[in-house]
Amino acid sequence: MNYFLSNRFAENKEVLSIILVILGILIFATVLFFVLGKIFPGDKVRELQQRTKSWWIMALIFILATVLHPSISFVAFGFLSFAALRELASISKNVRPEDRRVIIWCYLAIPVQYFLAYMGYFNLFMIFIPVIMFIWIPFVLVVRGFTVEIGKSMSVLPVQLMFTVFSISHLAYFLSLPELTGFHAGGRGLLLYVVFLTEMNDVFQFTWGKLLGRHKIIEKISPNKTWEGFIGGFITTIVVAYFIRFLTPFTAIESLFAGAIIAFGGFIGDVIVSAIKRDIGLKDTGNLIPGHGGILDRIDSLAIAAPSFFYFVYNLYYA
Amino acid sequence: MKWLLMVFYYKLLMRPFLSILVGVKLVNSENLRQSGPVIIVSNHNSHLDTMSLMAALPIKQLIRTHPVAADDYFGNSPFKRFLSRWVINALLIKRNRADGDPSPTDIMINSLDKGHSLILFPEGSRGEPEKLQAFQKGVGAILKRRPNIPYIPIFMRGMGRVLPKGEKLLVPFDSFVSIGPKSFTNQSEVTLIVKEVEEAVRKQSDVLLHLFKH
Repeated sequence: MNYFLSNRFAENKEVLSIILVILGILIFATVLFFVLGKIFPGDKVRELQQRTKSWWIMALIFILATVLHPSISFVAFGFLSFAALRELASISKNVRPEDRRVIIWCYLAIPVQYFLAYMGYFNLFMIFIPVIMFIWIPFVLVVRGFTVEIGKSMSVLPVQLMFTVFSISHLAYFLSLPELTGFHAGGRGLLLYVVFLTEMNDVFQFTWGKLLGRHKIIEKISPNKTWEGFIGGFITTIVVAYFIRFLTPFTAIESLFAGAIIAFGGFIGDVIVSAIKRDIGLKDTGNLIPGHGGILDRIDSLAIAAPSFFYFVYNLYYA
Repeated sequence: MKWLLMVFYYKLLMRPFLSILVGVKLVNSENLRQSGPVIIVSNHNSHLDTMSLMAALPIKQLIRTHPVAADDYFGNSPFKRFLSRWVINALLIKRNRADGDPSPTDIMINSLDKGHSLILFPEGSRGEPEKLQAFQKGVGAILKRRPNIPYIPIFMRGMGRVLPKGEKLLVPFDSFVSIGPKSFTNQSEVTLIVKEVEEAVRKQSDVLLHLFKH
């Protein structure tokens, strides 16, 4: 417990070095797109510059939320879940107007879930949303008494909770994992590892797709995604996962598996949100982050990659 | 004193509450940075509408901007009267007036002539969410007599879900306030002016739709 009350990240060489790597990449991208913008001015470069600017802000917020006092990290991740759930509930056409008051119960689940993560009550943390809320939400819906299309709400609301609260809260739980002897980076290292790799995987898939993309992988959902982008991103992510495994307790082979899980999980999350948006006819889920759409567009990959990676490392080292 | 209370309430309490907790997002908020008297015209679904508009105003304009409200609703209890006077800064209009009372148009024009701005909800009452009801004549009558005063068309989306008419529990949902550019009417007929303003508000509704669609 002492570890969580004291702020020892500066002594944590592994965490410090990955933060320097992130800042280095951002500086490199900023300079690169600035020079490109001078040589080939145009909308495409301007979009890349805008994206880089948004990346700066997101990276700085994330790094601060990770290295500051853990209680700040839990509040920050909790707010991320809240904003994502609010966005999903707002755009979903399967939520009936009569469900307003039930959605309050979904919002109230957020502080509970993050409190369980903060206290490290792992068993309750694991079942609170998939079991307790899974029963409670339909029960509240029944008590409210609007039966027309009640099945839709019974299915949609728990799924929204799973996607935005259960999944993202695993990022926070990394900070509650106990210390392992001989593993210095700790939960913060694992958190940075999975977030860094998931975001890089997005960038790699995008870049490889732009460079080599020919064959559509899932055209009806995401017309810009190609097999070349997916495989290029997959391989690059595994390579990076291998080289930054100093953030984890993994052996070389385990880090390759971790990279594969994150790359594949990120892809799944991405296409799920794309499909939800396609169903509603939206291009982006919001316009909060310039060049990136809304919050859901940013956390879609993490929503699947984070819990998948969490249970991978948990079962190998913490169970 | 009132100025302090309003700045504290709207800028320190309401603004962060609306943007962080409720999820109100302003689109083209720079269009609200006006100095002179203006008429802000908006659709109306919720009590949050007035709160969001007031919270979005520049600090200097806060005390000189009056949401126009019905006296029989906002003046019918001491608490509501206190709220409309000290917090909402409302200009109360009597719907059923006795002989000798000044006409609502005169009251509003009087306020504009003093350099103050007005917030008008020409739909009359809070209607069904995202459905624009026919506009009432008031805005046309004012603009006909003061064509040199600009109007700012605004459309709000989502507030009707956060806090609909008749509900007391506030539920956060993403909601959007689209603020149009200020414009002067170029009609001289009351009905035509009303039509023009209604079109301008409808256009802001399209702005919101196009923001997210393909």
